[in-house]
Amino acid sequence: MIHLNNVRKFYGALEVIKGVDVTVDDGEFAVFVGPSGCGKSTLLRMIAGLEGIDSGDLVLNGTRINDVPPDKRGIAMVFQSYALYPHMTVAENIGFSLSLKKVAPAEIRRQVEEVAEILQLRELLDRRPGALSGGQRQRVAIGRAIIKKPSLILFDEPLSNLDSALRVQMRAELQRLHRELSATVVYVTHDQVEAMTMADKIVVLNQGTVAQAGPPMDLYHRPDNEFVATFIGSPKMNVLPVTMTREGSESVHLAGPLGMALTLADAGASLPDGAAKLGVRPEHLRVVAEEAAHFIAEVAIVERLGVETYLTVGSIDQPIVVRVEGDVTFRPGDRVPLAADTAACHIFGTDGRILRSANAA
Amino acid sequence: MSVAPPGESANRVRGDLMAYATLSLISIFCAIPFFWLLIASFDGNAQLFLRWPETWTFANYLRVFAKEDGAKWLFNSLFVVGSATLLVMVLSGLGGYALSRTRAWWKLPFLYAILLIRVLPSTALIVPLYKFLLTLNNAESALLRPIFGSATRDIMRWTGFIDGYLGLILVLATMQLPLSLWIMKTFFDGLPRDYEEAALMDGATMIQRIRRVLVPLALPGLAASGLFAFMSAWGDFLLPLILLSSPELQTLPLGLFRAFLRINEIDYGLLTALAFIYLVPAVVAFGFARRFLVQTFSGGVKG
Repeated sequence: MIHLNNVRKFYGALEVIKGVDVTVDDGEFAVFVGPSGCGKSTLLRMIAGLEGIDSGDLVLNGTRINDVPPDKRGIAMVFQSYALYPHMTVAENIGFSLSLKKVAPAEIRRQVEEVAEILQLRELLDRRPGALSGGQRQRVAIGRAIIKKPSLILFDEPLSNLDSALRVQMRAELQRLHRELSATVVYVTHDQVEAMTMADKIVVLNQGTVAQAGPPMDLYHRPDNEFVATFIGSPKMNVLPVTMTREGSESVHLAGPLGMALTLADAGASLPDGAAKLGVRPEHLRVVAEEAAHFIAEVAIVERLGVETYLTVGSIDQPIVVRVEGDVTFRPGDRVPLAADTAACHIFGTDGRILRSANAA
Repeated sequence: MSVAPPGESANRVRGDLMAYATLSLISIFCAIPFFWLLIASFDGNAQLFLRWPETWTFANYLRVFAKEDGAKWLFNSLFVVGSATLLVMVLSGLGGYALSRTRAWWKLPFLYAILLIRVLPSTALIVPLYKFLLTLNNAESALLRPIFGSATRDIMRWTGFIDGYLGLILVLATMQLPLSLWIMKTFFDGLPRDYEEAALMDGATMIQRIRRVLVPLALPGLAASGLFAFMSAWGDFLLPLILLSSPELQTLPLGLFRAFLRINEIDYGLLTALAFIYLVPAVVAFGFARRFLVQTFSGGVKG
């Protein structure tokens, strides 16, 4: 188990990691995700020991390891560039850490073959990295990590060098490995799809702080703030400025752009009057009959994917994306009546904090 | 091309022929001096003019090594230039790495400043350089003489700054270092830090990181910087001329020069043989480093 407690990092006067608290349990696949510059890679390098920690505690299996040198932490890392040594064979690359420890060559060979078996690298052991494909290099890099039998494996954007087809394949591969090795993994990516598909726990980082941490579906259905709501999910959640007016004890009326008018019947008593933001995912907007519509908008873009179609409606500065099942006949310029699934509506304050989560789970 | 009418394709052939003919002429023009050098060095009666030898002989080469001090000159040249090259490779490897990885504010000013050393003609620096080395030399001599007495001259032949190997090695290395530092700095810029960090995570000590990771990765760059240093220092004539006076320290270009200046006769056979011997190491060095050169100047390490 790895635990980060109020961890901070400064570059000069600039605070890049602003008090991060994260816990990753044994065997968990945790993904740090966020836009570039959010501090996710820095945080990973701090766990690895490649960057110092200016304050706070880094605790691995009950021991504070802030000041333990990288190779003594029992942590292995797979680098974005893989960092395979071009002058060594695959076997030498995988066995490098053992050969540094002066392990007997026969024992190194045995362990390398064991790892190669797991990673299906048997036939490639005598090749040099230059003669391998992207996916094979990736596996060698993982082999170099797991031969150390680490209590934690770190991945720094390992799929970003691969083409999209291989990326899908490697995602599945990594999940299989994670299951087989029952390793604890911290994985950094900027790609929320990778995060959603692989993670047991997602940690969304924004500007050096944890925006939210939890299982993927929690973050998807119950985001803590507008940042997480729009970062997780593709296409992203529509967020529209609305004015709230209370109607009785439970019910709230929302007025938004494009003449939008809808009532949340069970909004609770806590929502204040005034300006707020309505968050609704593309799949929670429906094309309806005109009399049932919350608003009517003109179609700007139609993206047909076969099984589903994305309509972008409204103006350029306030586009709204609607997901429609199947292949539809709408064309740009059509005016369509739309309704939101009121149970799936999120309300954010003007500061972006969640005021009301969706009921749907 | 199959659709081109016959006339057009004939034109094309004629154009190609013209181009090749012109290029061949230029190539021959460039190659003739070397060709003359080669055949004249085997000619028993070599002349200033290109001619086919009447008798082929090794006598010219024998004369270089038996009658003249050719072996000594060759050793001196190889030793001095080789040592300077080795020094340049070590210093530019370490320095280039440091310059690549540091974020110090003085990095770019420093890099441009050292390039200035390269740009300034060394001829212009001869006087202060000589004065400086002479002072060092006198100081060293004053220090050694009370200890070693009459053996001092023998020691100073190796460690002296004037008329000694060390002085010439240091000056030659200094002249080559700026360019080599630039080459190595640029090379290390293209080498991801990931390699070192991966080694660090694997538990490699500083020495292990250098020996097992950085040096093998830097080999192409080192070969390039070493080759440039070697070729440039090998061709240097002025510095040995100024800094060396003892006959037993003469380098090949000096031997060639002095053989050319002899008053009573010009022995073209000897000169061409000497010149050919002088050419060979440069060509061999190029042959060795060519493979690495291509790697260094076409996009660094792949892996």
